[in-house]
Amino acid sequence: MLYLFGLVLTTGFAVAVAAFAGALGQSRAVAAALEGAARQPEATGNIQRLLIIGLAFIESLTLYVLVIGFLLLGKLPNTADIVKLLR
Amino acid sequence: MHAEHGSWLTWLYEIRVGGHPLVPDWVPEAVPFAVLVILALSVLVRIGMRRPQRIPRGLQSLVEWVFVALGNAWRAILGDQARRFSPFLSTLFIYILLMNWCGLVPGFKSPTANLNTTVALALIVFGVVQIYGVIENGLLGYAKHFTGDIWWMAPLMLPIHIVGELARPLSLSLRLFGNVNSEDTIVMVLITLGTVLFSRGLGGLMEGAPSVLAPLMIAMALFTGLVQAYIFSVLAAVYLAGVMHEEEHASA
Repeated sequence: MLYLFGLVLTTGFAVAVAAFAGALGQSRAVAAALEGAARQPEATGNIQRLLIIGLAFIESLTLYVLVIGFLLLGKLPNTADIVKLLR
Repeated sequence: MHAEHGSWLTWLYEIRVGGHPLVPDWVPEAVPFAVLVILALSVLVRIGMRRPQRIPRGLQSLVEWVFVALGNAWRAILGDQARRFSPFLSTLFIYILLMNWCGLVPGFKSPTANLNTTVALALIVFGVVQIYGVIENGLLGYAKHFTGDIWWMAPLMLPIHIVGELARPLSLSLRLFGNVNSEDTIVMVLITLGTVLFSRGLGGLMEGAPSVLAPLMIAMALFTGLVQAYIFSVLAAVYLAGVMHEEEHASA
């Protein structure tokens, strides 16, 4: 029972923390890109390309955690089975 | 995680040719859809370029526009080697793009929402980068590029570089798989939201929710599918540029 409790709690928190951290990193990248584009508007094309590549790199880290979350979620039993166990 | 559901190509698994099934059961549905994408692309380009005019109209104009736009993108990364790799990279981009968008058509499944497809694509890119690295630099020169410039730091740099090199197909495949699978799952959840959640009696107030939420998510999935296909092919181009020699570095 403690195992299942730990599993559920970990899965939920892991994805939430990863989403938060990813958003933080991406916000800094976008801020830097916007600042660069504002200082030199003719470089906007280059900056946009680099921004998209950088965002995808940061996002992929959040996605690895989501994939782990999928794996862990597959190990959870049905609610009906647990209710039967508790009865 | 979600119930297995069929698609428009599930009937292919029922066909028997001389006693043996045409498509065995162990083949995931990603494969027929990938074949469908390839067929559709071939037919489209064939029809578009059947009688090429000097001033393009219609489908030929679309094909040429895609070709030229992608060629410019690869030239910005690869410089003058772009012509060599432009077919490979452009094909990679268009193929992945159409596969990503496949899942948004009702009744279709994205091949890239299956880890097998993305791992295969990442391994192809990995193989191409390694092979061209050896072709361009020779076997010794290519091995030397792993060790770095300072020779007595080689025992430290070698494992780091090798692990970094092996992490590339891993990250490529997981990134594409995670993004496309998540988008498709969210679209499916949003579409089934009304029937599952509100059938328990929350009633008519929210029954229209999927018809508002699902198109929004499909629009976003169109965009992120495009971005992920672009990222995959741009990264392939960047890895290739890393092993190629250039006279002058293309300003990124």
